[in-house]
Amino acid sequence: MRIGKLRWLILSLSFVLLLFGACAGLHLGSILPTFSCCFVPTRAGTCFFLPLQLSLGTFTWPDMLLFLNRFFWFSLLVLLLGRAWCGWLCPLGFFQDLLDRLRQAVGLGYARFSAKWRGRLSWVKWIFLGIALLIPLWVAFPVLFAPVALDLNIPFCQLCPGKYILPLITFSRDRILVDFESTTRMVMSSLGLLFSVTVIIGAFVKRRFWCPYCPLGLLMSWYRKWSLFKLKKDDATCTHCQVCANVCPLEIDEVFLSRGRVDVTFSDCILCLKCIEHCPEDDALRADFLGRTVYRSTSKGFFRHPAIMNAETKHE
Amino acid sequence: MNKPLQSKASSRQLRQISREAGRQLAAMQELSNAPQALAPFIDALEHVFVANDPEPLLFKDGQSKPVIGIYCILVPEELIYAAGAIPIRLCGGCTSPCAAGEEFVPRDGCPLAKSSLGLTAQQGLAVYDLCDVVIIPTTCDAKRKFAEEVSRFQEVWMLEVPHLKESEISQQAWLQQVMALKDRLEVYMKSVTGKRTKITPKGLEQAICQQTAAQEQVRRLQLLRARESALLWGRQAMIVAGAYSFMEVGAWTEALRVLNDELETRTAGSVCAEKTPRLLIAGSPVIFPNFKLPNLIEEMGGVVVIDESCVGERMLYDPVGHPERDLRSQMIALAARYLMPCICPSFAPNEDRLVTLKRMIKTHKVDGVIYHVLKGCVVYDFEVTRVERALKECDVPLVRIETDYSPEDVEQLRTRIEAFIEVLHLRKEKNQ
Repeated sequence: MRIGKLRWLILSLSFVLLLFGACAGLHLGSILPTFSCCFVPTRAGTCFFLPLQLSLGTFTWPDMLLFLNRFFWFSLLVLLLGRAWCGWLCPLGFFQDLLDRLRQAVGLGYARFSAKWRGRLSWVKWIFLGIALLIPLWVAFPVLFAPVALDLNIPFCQLCPGKYILPLITFSRDRILVDFESTTRMVMSSLGLLFSVTVIIGAFVKRRFWCPYCPLGLLMSWYRKWSLFKLKKDDATCTHCQVCANVCPLEIDEVFLSRGRVDVTFSDCILCLKCIEHCPEDDALRADFLGRTVYRSTSKGFFRHPAIMNAETKHE
Repeated sequence: MNKPLQSKASSRQLRQISREAGRQLAAMQELSNAPQALAPFIDALEHVFVANDPEPLLFKDGQSKPVIGIYCILVPEELIYAAGAIPIRLCGGCTSPCAAGEEFVPRDGCPLAKSSLGLTAQQGLAVYDLCDVVIIPTTCDAKRKFAEEVSRFQEVWMLEVPHLKESEISQQAWLQQVMALKDRLEVYMKSVTGKRTKITPKGLEQAICQQTAAQEQVRRLQLLRARESALLWGRQAMIVAGAYSFMEVGAWTEALRVLNDELETRTAGSVCAEKTPRLLIAGSPVIFPNFKLPNLIEEMGGVVVIDESCVGERMLYDPVGHPERDLRSQMIALAARYLMPCICPSFAPNEDRLVTLKRMIKTHKVDGVIYHVLKGCVVYDFEVTRVERALKECDVPLVRIETDYSPEDVEQLRTRIEAFIEVLHLRKEKNQ
């Protein structure tokens, strides 16, 4: 099976498993490094950002112990697969890819950001991460504006586009509400709604629109040096043809630009392996798991790719 | 198409060209053990240079189409095909027109410019006269000024090539150039055919696939030539590449597929002795009928297993990636394919060329490199020291040969090449 198809299959299966698993009694704990959203009642496990914010928000000794335990398991999971969690398992990733397929079916092109804009927007994920880490501390020790602080429980989850999108596509409509209980809650939930709408529109016009701004992805990218799953490049066969940069949904151009560097798992890389699938050179790009090559680029694979074969037979 | 009256001088030139090309092609046919499927390529070049009748090669079922001449390897042929025209490559390799070209090209200019300009100026050779428009990219200094001179005789569209590939500004500028070329082609086709022409995603996809099919066969041939026993003389492979310039791409691909199939199942074995030194021709292009260098190499006991020339192996090596089916993605992928992996020495820095050479040496088990410098080709000559240094790492010797299209220095070159091949023989024996 072609890898693109395999990834789509796994992504779809994972979507069903993670968001409907509870119906089959599956429970994987609150340690998942992926957007298995806490607002979906039928989820099989919970996104690690929920316990992260909750524990920081209470800051009691037993809570921190529990948190450390979860953090340990979370780290293990990230070390095992790296950001392949994003490319192969994330339900929000599935949703974005779904919209992407819809766009392609309609025959529309996709938007691109220039390197300048990508640079300018790269701080967005840091702000989200800051919100997820710092505001819970204020919640734990509300020395100023206590009533506001108390409404800022799990602040990132309130803003996260997954909060609205994932319940929406798992038919839990009762969760998709703007909360009018207090001004703070109203502001937060409207902002969340705004981000969700942006992501829905964004994912339709741009591939993996949300992923460069995801704070969970940022956190996971720090493990990439020690992760078992890696994208590697052989400089001796790379022709710097830019094909990999053009097919990359995150528009990473460092992979083709880099010279003399073997490990090319850059921080935004979600290990979708599209670059390997479309690389026209033998062994120029490869995916290593535990130091063993599991997938590599071939010239033959390039020329036998359905993108070419289908078009050829269609025109004949 | 109205052909101007031919002057006496040009008919003499035509005779010279047909003699020069005919001799080379006859020598090709005399090579023993030649694959049968080579015939269509020899035939094509015969049509162009000897019979001066290229039209059957370009127009299927006698349907005439606008013909657009192109120089260098940076003009996206897919766009020309998608617009409904036919591209032909005009970089010239004929000796006799050089004299006529010298009227416009300075003495130190390269023979390629002289030859092509001579052929354009002295009408007569049909492939040059067929082109109503020529597209010339601004690669090296010679080509840039050459384009200006050609514009005296033909409509010239210049395509500005950025020389620093890696900056995003250059890539954007190049994309704009390619987009503008597309618009210009559409307008031009409307003026010629009278019908509104639009390059559609579907049409472009088809053209891209057609080109990719050709590239697949080129890579197949390259792999076959990497085999331990040489299945083909270098000259024969150069005939194949040379014929591409003047053939419709689909027909050429089909002919090459047949040739590859024949070579794959070949039982006749190697065309040369087992220990024949395997050579790579690097540097300036070897363009039919100027086969001076490969002729000498293969007559003196070597075999050319690969070249790094823009009219040879490199011309159809890099494919367009798999773009989505919308015009913008296709144009971006197309622009990237022509600019980014191109290792023309007019780019700087051009580190990728060394990588490619090293890769070729490894895959094709090359014993020695002949570095071809056409007189006046400054950019290739500039890189010779870099290449030499890089080749030292692979422990492969290099000899720089500077020459032009004239046959005067053949015997001197023969001595040098003979000595070089002798050295390679000795090295080969010592290593075993």
